[in-house]
Amino acid sequence: MSPKPPTRVELLQGTLDLLILRTLLAGPSHGHAIAKHIQRTSEELLQVETGSLYPALHRLEAQGWIAASWELSDKGKRAKYYRLTPRGRKQLASEQSKWQAFARAMGLVLKPADQEAE
Amino acid sequence: MNAFFRKLSWLGRRPSKEDELHAELQFHLDEEAEERQAQGLANEEARRAARRDLGNVTLVQENTRATWGWTLLEQLGQDLRYAFRTMAANRLFTLLAVVSLALGIGANTAIYSFMDAILLRSLPVADPESLVVLNWHAKTTGPDFVMHGMSGSSYDDSSGITTGIFPFPAYELFRKNDAVFSIVFAHYPSWQVRSMNLVAKGQAGIAAGWMVSGDYFRGLGVLPTVGRLINPDDDRPGVPAVAVVSYAFSQRRFGGAANAAGQPIQIDNLPFTVVGVTPPEFFGVDPAETPDVYLPMHTNELLGAGNQFGFRPERYLDDHYYWVHIMGRLRPGVSIAQAQAALAPAFHQWVASTAANERQRANLPELMVKEGAGGLETLRRRYSKPLYVLMTMVGLVLALTCANVANLLLSRAAARRREIALRMSVGAGRFRIVRQLLTESVLLASLGGAMGVLSAIWGIRFLTLLLANGRTNFTLHANLNWHVLGAAVALSLLTGVLFGLAPALQATRVDVMPALKETRAGQLAARHSFRRISLSHLLVVGQIAISLLMLVAAGLFVRTLSNLQSIELGFTRENVLLFQLDARKAGHQDPEIAAFYGELRRRFNAIPGVRDASLSEDSLIEAGTGLPLSVAGAQPNPHNRILSVGPAFFGTMQIPILAGRDIEERDRPGSPGVAVINEVFAKANFGNRNPLGQHLILGPTEEGGLTTRDMEIVGVSKNARYGGLTNDIPPVVYMPYNQGFPRPDAMVYALRTSGDPLRYINSVRETVRQADARVPVSEIRSQAADIDRTINQEITFAELCSGFAILALVIACVGLYGTVSYNVARRTGEIGIRMALGAQSGRVVWMVLREVCVLAAVGLAISVPTALATSKLVGSFLFGMKPNDPVSLTLAVVILLMAAILAGYMPARKASRIDPMIALRNE
Repeated sequence: MSPKPPTRVELLQGTLDLLILRTLLAGPSHGHAIAKHIQRTSEELLQVETGSLYPALHRLEAQGWIAASWELSDKGKRAKYYRLTPRGRKQLASEQSKWQAFARAMGLVLKPADQEAE
Repeated sequence: MNAFFRKLSWLGRRPSKEDELHAELQFHLDEEAEERQAQGLANEEARRAARRDLGNVTLVQENTRATWGWTLLEQLGQDLRYAFRTMAANRLFTLLAVVSLALGIGANTAIYSFMDAILLRSLPVADPESLVVLNWHAKTTGPDFVMHGMSGSSYDDSSGITTGIFPFPAYELFRKNDAVFSIVFAHYPSWQVRSMNLVAKGQAGIAAGWMVSGDYFRGLGVLPTVGRLINPDDDRPGVPAVAVVSYAFSQRRFGGAANAAGQPIQIDNLPFTVVGVTPPEFFGVDPAETPDVYLPMHTNELLGAGNQFGFRPERYLDDHYYWVHIMGRLRPGVSIAQAQAALAPAFHQWVASTAANERQRANLPELMVKEGAGGLETLRRRYSKPLYVLMTMVGLVLALTCANVANLLLSRAAARRREIALRMSVGAGRFRIVRQLLTESVLLASLGGAMGVLSAIWGIRFLTLLLANGRTNFTLHANLNWHVLGAAVALSLLTGVLFGLAPALQATRVDVMPALKETRAGQLAARHSFRRISLSHLLVVGQIAISLLMLVAAGLFVRTLSNLQSIELGFTRENVLLFQLDARKAGHQDPEIAAFYGELRRRFNAIPGVRDASLSEDSLIEAGTGLPLSVAGAQPNPHNRILSVGPAFFGTMQIPILAGRDIEERDRPGSPGVAVINEVFAKANFGNRNPLGQHLILGPTEEGGLTTRDMEIVGVSKNARYGGLTNDIPPVVYMPYNQGFPRPDAMVYALRTSGDPLRYINSVRETVRQADARVPVSEIRSQAADIDRTINQEITFAELCSGFAILALVIACVGLYGTVSYNVARRTGEIGIRMALGAQSGRVVWMVLREVCVLAAVGLAISVPTALATSKLVGSFLFGMKPNDPVSLTLAVVILLMAAILAGYMPARKASRIDPMIALRNE
């Protein structure tokens, strides 16, 4: 029996960093917008917990993969905008290929099981 | 690393960082709320929903802050602040702990810096690790040995003789071996240039020289600071004489390195040209010396030509005259063992070819290749054992200090049991509390360490002064450097953890409930108190044991010193000024020089306050001249010693004349030769016969060509020390300095003065200046200092060890006092009850003192056998007593017991004055 698609998926450990970096590839953004963007593009499957978003952003900043500056939002309020640094871009590329390899490997292993179940 | 620095820079703007985070989260809430409002929620409801969505704001902030990487730092900050507060609240405790640590760490750092300078440090030259020093070893050297003459020092021990001097042909042999060496060079501290008269810019002064081969500087890889250094072309007979001066000397005598190069100088009246200056840090290859001037080795032919005992050119070819030190640089990849294996047979073959007979061939010197990174071993030989002994002593002092601080912390931790129990009951982890307690002890140790480094700077100066003991040319290159500071820091941290860990672990091993139930002044649960007491008692017992060891050592060294100082000299040591003049090096020649010296003696005698004046070739304590001398008609005895002296020598030194007369003014060049002998000589050669009127014959010597000297014995003197304080007095012949061979070179004048002899220095200088300004006055010292110089090590040991022993005793007593006081405070209630029930105050005092006595007795029971077993180790430092000296041991035990009882009596008396009413009210 094939399972019903869940309304929400739990984020895997470590994937939030990758998602943030990927989101910032489109351009600088503030925390709230990043969360919303991830939610939207994942068709509401991924829910970013605010409780882990901000620690993650600060961690990435400490690593030097993203940089932050205070700017005015499109609504004219001061907001902390994060943008990708060159080092972050490199990190994203390597993380992305790692993730793709991982996803492919998972797919390869899981596929026969699915077929058996059918 | 980047992340680390970013976090570090954030640390600086932490408050604004906090505000930013707050603003960032607030913005998030606003955005979320607006979005919800846009979806149709009311303003208030939208805000609430946003907040609900965000979750626990404080937690989010906390988690975010954690990513800043400050948690550990923040906790450390908290711990430090807390530690500072507790330290400030316990000033006396802090002061005691920090001061004792400072003394402990300071003493260790100071001694270690000497070890570093003497035993560990490499020469400041290029790639010191590849340098080797050549030595040889032989079982005995007697008449039947390949070495017939030598210039240099050798070391004798039970296994035979070891030295680093070789004949010049052997040096040439090693130079040919380019399979092992990339370069070989030679050098030697010729006695003639050790102290030479050097005229620079018209001013005469004494300078220390060193003879080096042409490859010396290239071999060491030393580059000139100014000009050039000596090269192989300078080291040939017949080339212009050049000299290289040290950086310090160029500063002192030429007013700067740049001014020195190219300057003409005169060394012992011979013209030299300064061609360059060595780097400031360079001091040659012997850490015991700092030569001022380096001369090409072959200039010894020039300098030797004018001197009766000077160097002769034929020695360069002599296989049996040993004099040059050889060093080499190993080729890359060649180990010392390989070098040894390759060179030893080559040397053996060569030296065998110099042997004259089978007996010589049976006892040939064996080559030893030693590492040369640290240069020559002079200092290491002299100081390594004393330094290890001192290092052990300061190590023990530090152990005492640690035990003391641990004890203090332990009793404090006990007092803080309630606090710790409270912290643990509200959820503090044991690790967290141990960490906090350790922070305190490491902070204490760091403070102690910082102050220790300060006291070490002072200690190093003090030690240098002590070791130099008045020698102005004393050169120990000891100072604080990164090695030493690193060691001090490591030591501080280590002691902090060591003395902090046990109390911290013990303090946190509490049962929370009973500890919290205790009253404030309260009793401790019996089980814990027993364990705590046992640890602190253990520490006190250890302290007493260590203190006793140190007291015994101090006792041994002090008694050794007093034995040395009470040695009968045979002359009066007080109120004699000694100084050296070398008129020959200033240009005076025979026979005028003898008259010059005689005239100067008369002028010194005329200085008001000078009661007697005389001169001799050496001071009595440093004398040591042996020339072939015999009673007319007999064979020369090699044990005979001579001393050339001036008129009134015995009167000035106050050596009693037993028969006949002193040397007098009438004994002059041309008058009949005379001599005075000592009792030993008289007994050995004449037995009960009257020696007066007998004749002595001096010479001929192997130096050859010198006329013999015939002397009539005109006096017999009482025995006086000759050439040292502790060796047997040899048979000595005292003879006028101006009646023939040996001709006078440098002379040591002795003035017997009224009052402090050092007060006459200026008059002496002035007198010499008036007589001849070219003659420098050197080695001015009182005779007492001259004698003390020979027992320098014993004096230093006695002073340092007494100092350390007193320090140890004080530290141990403070520990004992602290422990006993704490126990008295803990038992206030019990003592109050006893007194309320009628116990006399004497009984209470005894009750407390009994504990002290038991501790002291246990400590002694451990340390007395240890002292008996270990005092053998310092046996070689002792004089006139056995290692297991009962007097020292008894004295140490008595002093220790008295100190312990004193330390215990104060709290005991306090206990006896406890008011039962007050004590019981506290319950």
